[in-house]
Amino acid sequence: MTGERRIKTKRGGRKKLFISLGIVVLLCLVPLSTTSPYYLHTLIITFIYVMAAASLRTILLSGQISIAHAAFMGVGAYASAILAKELGWTPWLTMPLGGLFSLVFGAVIGYPLTRVRAIYFSMVSLFVGLAIVALLGVLQGITGGDIGMIDIPPLSAIAVPGLPHIDFDGSKIPYYYFFLILSFLILLVLYRIEHSRIGTSWKAIAQAHMVASAVGINESGMRILAFSVGCFFAGLAGAGYAHYNMVLTRSSFGFLSSINLLIYVLVGGSGSFAGPIIGTAVLVIVPEIVRSLQTFAPFVFGGIMLFVVFFMRQGIAGLFEQLQSKLTRSKKREMPGRAP
Amino acid sequence: MISEAAVQTVANVFMLSAIYILVALGFALLMNVLGILNFAHAAIYMAGGYICYELIVGAGMNPWVSLLISAVAIGALGLLIERVLFRPFLKDMNSIVVITLALIIILEATVNVTVGSYIRRIPSFVPGVFRVGTVSLSGDRLATFVIGSCLLAAAILFIRKTKTGTQMLAVSQDFDAAALQGINTRRIFALTTAIGCALAAVAGSLMGAVLSLSPLMGDYMLVKAIEIVILAGIGSIGGVLIGGLILGLLDASLPLFIGGSATDLIGLSIVIILLLFRPQGLFGHEA
Repeated sequence: MTGERRIKTKRGGRKKLFISLGIVVLLCLVPLSTTSPYYLHTLIITFIYVMAAASLRTILLSGQISIAHAAFMGVGAYASAILAKELGWTPWLTMPLGGLFSLVFGAVIGYPLTRVRAIYFSMVSLFVGLAIVALLGVLQGITGGDIGMIDIPPLSAIAVPGLPHIDFDGSKIPYYYFFLILSFLILLVLYRIEHSRIGTSWKAIAQAHMVASAVGINESGMRILAFSVGCFFAGLAGAGYAHYNMVLTRSSFGFLSSINLLIYVLVGGSGSFAGPIIGTAVLVIVPEIVRSLQTFAPFVFGGIMLFVVFFMRQGIAGLFEQLQSKLTRSKKREMPGRAP
Repeated sequence: MISEAAVQTVANVFMLSAIYILVALGFALLMNVLGILNFAHAAIYMAGGYICYELIVGAGMNPWVSLLISAVAIGALGLLIERVLFRPFLKDMNSIVVITLALIIILEATVNVTVGSYIRRIPSFVPGVFRVGTVSLSGDRLATFVIGSCLLAAAILFIRKTKTGTQMLAVSQDFDAAALQGINTRRIFALTTAIGCALAAVAGSLMGAVLSLSPLMGDYMLVKAIEIVILAGIGSIGGVLIGGLILGLLDASLPLFIGGSATDLIGLSIVIILLLFRPQGLFGHEA
């Protein structure tokens, strides 16, 4: 029975891999059909938020609804930007360092947060996010405070002998490919983590923390791990954003941004891996399409959210899964004696 | 001179605390009784302020009547929200989060479309200044404090002394046991939401007269409300008063000495440190 199931999940995994590779190939072709900086910019921002939202879902897996995630993007972004600007290190080094800084920060913060659960966790994480943003304001000597931080170096050119020279100055196309590849890799890693023993422990904690600790799962350790892993990738995404945008203001990592990330995940469907990806794509791109509505555009955003809650309980991704399970169920009906 | 500044600060502390507590009390009631984290509570506070503004400035009505109408209208809005948006999703935290966030977006956008995003100010409820010895206090600040305290006293008396209030407490302590005792939980839910929203509307109107109105004022107040509830501890109504006073004291006095974001940082750090040592808050039972 278990062997059978494992084969099945592997086959399902391969199908998913093909679908996602297909999407990546399609996205690779985008810069060939349009070089409009506006479209590319929208997609780059989407990639960045996909990374952040997917890493937020990793935290959600362990039953912790964090409302501080954008702030951890900010931690990574400012750490990387400061290292690159003040010490003159190459962004290729400072970006992972920014992620690491965010990881350490996340672990330090995640430790006291294990004392609270459910809504209380959400509320406290909200403060943590605000406190980080306030801290960025207090440290205005190096972060620029409310004026913002300018002159952040862009990604330095890739000049490997034998490869074409890739320059990140001027065009958005190299950035586009960079973020496409980065987000694909991050999603792969997150997917592997989720389907490992660790991911299963997280899900167990989310479902019943007492039972999980009774069977020997170190609950607080696992929760801290989930939180810091999520923060690492958020920091990485933030660091990428810093070197793409080249200007940072602390308000872009504030309460509303954290809330938006959470909305992306929940509207997309926190129950499935594709959820945050679909949610981010829909909720970043649709408002750009309806931008001409100006002040009425938020109604579209809010309308989508309410629509999803009322008619797609499992999020947009859940809709696909429901359709899929309906299809497979009708197939399975022909084979008697097997539980769905 | 120094004493006057001190008295002004004390007056500010009480005024700010009154507004904080009015909002936080509704937020805490919704959390204790319905068990939901209503992120939209502060957006409702903002909407209350704008309704009052429109009635006074747009329709030229008497300020006190407008304040009353605004509270009643927002209370009715609360009934509607509870019935349509909250009740089907009470056990589903993810959905509640999305719904309340959608409510914030929709309420803010509605204000932007109808009134505009500029900062507004409600004309004084009590024009002029009061002089007590050498110290002068603006009428609005005094009115805010008086109205706030009276409403709070009324709300707390209602919760503690009336049958309906006791039922609210019972539901907040144990939903199932309360329902088994024959308490009409739907009625309690509706009533709680209406009261909470009406209190927030009054707070919003008062804040509009003392300070100003802006579509984003709710975001700030939401944080304060959550901070107060955490300080107080879950399930403690008296704690909300203390928590509101502490936060009002910090927010009205610290900016005199240090910058705005440092004040925020101190307030937030106090809450985070408190949670490290007392996760259940100052007066809560358990987290």
